[in-house]
Amino acid sequence: MNAPVNAPANNATNDVTNEATNAPVRQKGWRLLAAALGTVLVTVTACTSDATPPGPKVTDPPPQTAQAGVLRVLAGSELQDLAPILEDAKKATGITVQFSWTGSLDGADAVSSGRADGKYDAVWFPSNQYLRLDDTGKSKVLSETPVMVSPVAVGVRSSVLNELGWGDGSKVTWAQIGDAASAGKLAYGMADPSRSNSGFSTLVAVAAAFSGAGAALTEADVQKASPQLKQFFTGQKLTSGSSGWLAQAYTRAEPGKVGALVNYESVLLSLNKTLSPDQQLTVIRPVDGVVSADYPLSLLASSAQRERDSFQKLTAYLLKEDVQKRISETTLRRPVTPGVSPAAGLPADRRRELPFPGSRAVADGLLASYQNDLRRPSRTVYVLDTSGSMDGSRIAALKAALSRLTGADDTRGVRRFRNREEVTLISFASKVKSTKTHVVPPSGSQPGPQAELASINADVQSLSASGGTALYDSLEEAYRVIQRQQQAAGDDRFTSIVLMTDGESNEGATDNDFRSFHAGLSPAQKAIPVFPIKFGEAAVSQLQGVAELSGGKLFDGSGSLDGAFEEIRGYQ
Amino acid sequence: MRRALVILMALVLAGGVTYALFPEGDDDKDVVEVSGLIGSEKRDFFQDPQVVAELAKQGLKVNVESVGSWLMDGETKRDFAFPASQPPADKLRDAWGIKEVPVQPFYSPLVILAHRPVADVLRQNNLATLDESTGLWTFRMDAYVAALKAGSTWPDLTGAKDHAELKGPVFLTTTDPETSSSGALHIALLSYLLNNRQVVFDQTGIDNTKKVLYTATALQGGQQSSSDEPFKRFLAGVGNPLVLAYESQAAALVLKGEPTGDMVVLYPDTTIYTDHTIVSRTDNGRKLAAQLRDNPELRRLEARYGFRPQDDPDAFAALVKGKTPAFAPNLTAAKVNQPPIPVPDVLTRLIKAAKGKAQ
Repeated sequence: MNAPVNAPANNATNDVTNEATNAPVRQKGWRLLAAALGTVLVTVTACTSDATPPGPKVTDPPPQTAQAGVLRVLAGSELQDLAPILEDAKKATGITVQFSWTGSLDGADAVSSGRADGKYDAVWFPSNQYLRLDDTGKSKVLSETPVMVSPVAVGVRSSVLNELGWGDGSKVTWAQIGDAASAGKLAYGMADPSRSNSGFSTLVAVAAAFSGAGAALTEADVQKASPQLKQFFTGQKLTSGSSGWLAQAYTRAEPGKVGALVNYESVLLSLNKTLSPDQQLTVIRPVDGVVSADYPLSLLASSAQRERDSFQKLTAYLLKEDVQKRISETTLRRPVTPGVSPAAGLPADRRRELPFPGSRAVADGLLASYQNDLRRPSRTVYVLDTSGSMDGSRIAALKAALSRLTGADDTRGVRRFRNREEVTLISFASKVKSTKTHVVPPSGSQPGPQAELASINADVQSLSASGGTALYDSLEEAYRVIQRQQQAAGDDRFTSIVLMTDGESNEGATDNDFRSFHAGLSPAQKAIPVFPIKFGEAAVSQLQGVAELSGGKLFDGSGSLDGAFEEIRGYQ
Repeated sequence: MRRALVILMALVLAGGVTYALFPEGDDDKDVVEVSGLIGSEKRDFFQDPQVVAELAKQGLKVNVESVGSWLMDGETKRDFAFPASQPPADKLRDAWGIKEVPVQPFYSPLVILAHRPVADVLRQNNLATLDESTGLWTFRMDAYVAALKAGSTWPDLTGAKDHAELKGPVFLTTTDPETSSSGALHIALLSYLLNNRQVVFDQTGIDNTKKVLYTATALQGGQQSSSDEPFKRFLAGVGNPLVLAYESQAAALVLKGEPTGDMVVLYPDTTIYTDHTIVSRTDNGRKLAAQLRDNPELRRLEARYGFRPQDDPDAFAALVKGKTPAFAPNLTAAKVNQPPIPVPDVLTRLIKAAKGKAQ
């Protein structure tokens, strides 16, 4: 997993209590002895030093091996908002929850493949629905406890809501939302469904609503809904590998450009707390149904007894009435313990739960057809540093990372260049060396997508390293290439630039030159995000500057270049 | 001087230890640890401090972990497994080679939970009846099976259009029959009704019932692995309007005095009583089983968690008297029929057929 360099810092405070009394001791009498000794030890420590006692912290990454009093949890990043609750849980139960973050669907893969075995004690994603569709994945989970609930909803800007004549939004259907999107009256942002559970739930919800599926979604339902789905997705103007970046992109977008966001009700309501009055979102739960996340804290079958006990203690704590109330108030999700009222602002009227696919084949098929057939196609430009310093293992790593994006072993469309996608490879050193553009043909065409993917891979393999690093010159060229492509095609695509370098710009335009170049761009060009990848000795400040100026996001490829290239696919 | 200090400290420490050991010595020596797997519906019971205290009084410290009833057989280190019904217990006895007849300390019928406005719609459409004098709701299984066969949807029903959540087909949400006991018993129940009220015992019976069983399962889409989840989702106000649950789940909530909103408990006119069955592998497991069956204090606590103690029918009736929603004090008096459950092999095949795996 590649953590984005600008990941939000988790700055929860830590209050470490003495762990000695929590050590598992079999007999009661000896437990008292241990407690007595513990007290003595603590007293001694207190006399000699004022330092914080050592111990696991909520903010620490999980240790490689199980540890007393720690529950190692692989979780969806949206659970970061539980930090204050888990601090309290630690005080009350002595159990420290330590998280590794991942997307829900990637997390499901990690569980199914056995990669989570022994490394984590539990997983905690918005939903286990996708995980449960895989028999191996299902067998890896020993027990699950839903902790809170939030339905997928559409947050619509008030001005747009008025234009559409949707009143307070309490009577809107998915069909109305689809119609508004296809009429060009509703432009929205949505996270990548192949990675994010909110995107996936949205895709399932609209497919179920448009097909009129009463039962579990089937391939026939997806087929039937395809024309309407395609129309619905013409309104998708923002895509993202993470909810956090999606919210930022919404905030940055020109007024009137993006009028809505699709995400969990809780995310939209929380976002409202930070949005300016004119950007406030009215949360619509379509009356024909929703797909809800129930956040099941799930114990892995590979966990040891000690961790299983910690798990039971923690879930019992989280379901307590007062804790549930606090969870709802802190996160704006709905409580699951009866009798606990949801936080103010959460409407009480009910919604039908739309049916979910009953098999992994249907779920993956739906995702693949979203990527390859239903969504707006992308225009993707790679600006690749092939200067002399890239020679040897670095250029080999770059070739391998790009080559993976042309492979066929990608059942739900996480990585590979999609059908209809336009891919441009700009190789540069002291100047742009080559610019090569490919359009992957649509499904069912002759010759099919595979031939074009092979041709992209051939271009990738022909890259060679020599020369200096004219970073900004080459980046400016990328904007010009995009402008020419847009003019020639007259189309409307998701457009983005990836900038990969292992060094510092040392020739051609400077940082300031690029800033004035960017200031002179048209609004449409300014909206193109640049996703820089830091590699080798890359100048982080230059790359961070480009990411911020363009509204992109910096990725770290120094751990795994493959991972960084793959993660960025969620934003393209 | 320093030496004296060390001795003094040692004495203080030793004194502390002696003091700590004395009062613990007596009541501690017979406590044995018993560990086992339970269905999630019994987790709260085993975590109750009064239950823990009573078991400790009897010399037992019980460690439990909840897991779907059909997923318990891989486990070989525990003293017992305590699934929610007999079929998974039979499978466990097979797998573990246990001959003795296991103890069934308490049972709970499968019921249907709905919010009151939904129950009213069912009543208007003859899918349910309400006994005004007792407040007891009955769910008419034959009418429901007919609706399943006909592919009835909520909008087909009188009075449903006033409720935004009543869209799509009418069906019961259950757990996954492949992993969980209540889901499997739902299949057993439906197969009995579909087979002209005869237990399915052969391929003909499977062939006669599999189409509707598949429909009843496919309608639900992804199913959850333990009874806790659909129940919690129901309470949280999400999910399908009709949820199959154990009576004990609803009763426990009411008996704890927790608000249940407009929840209604509908008793199917034909339903399965789930016999919670404890399969012991060790003497300690057997000791626990006997306590759960025979100890009056534990029986009282079992009833408080909504279970019906096998040998003490009044324990439950006394507790639920006058509560809202209404519970049937006596299932026989409420005219609830109980069908037989197919033998394990046939049930497994019915479940596979229901899941669309050709049988």
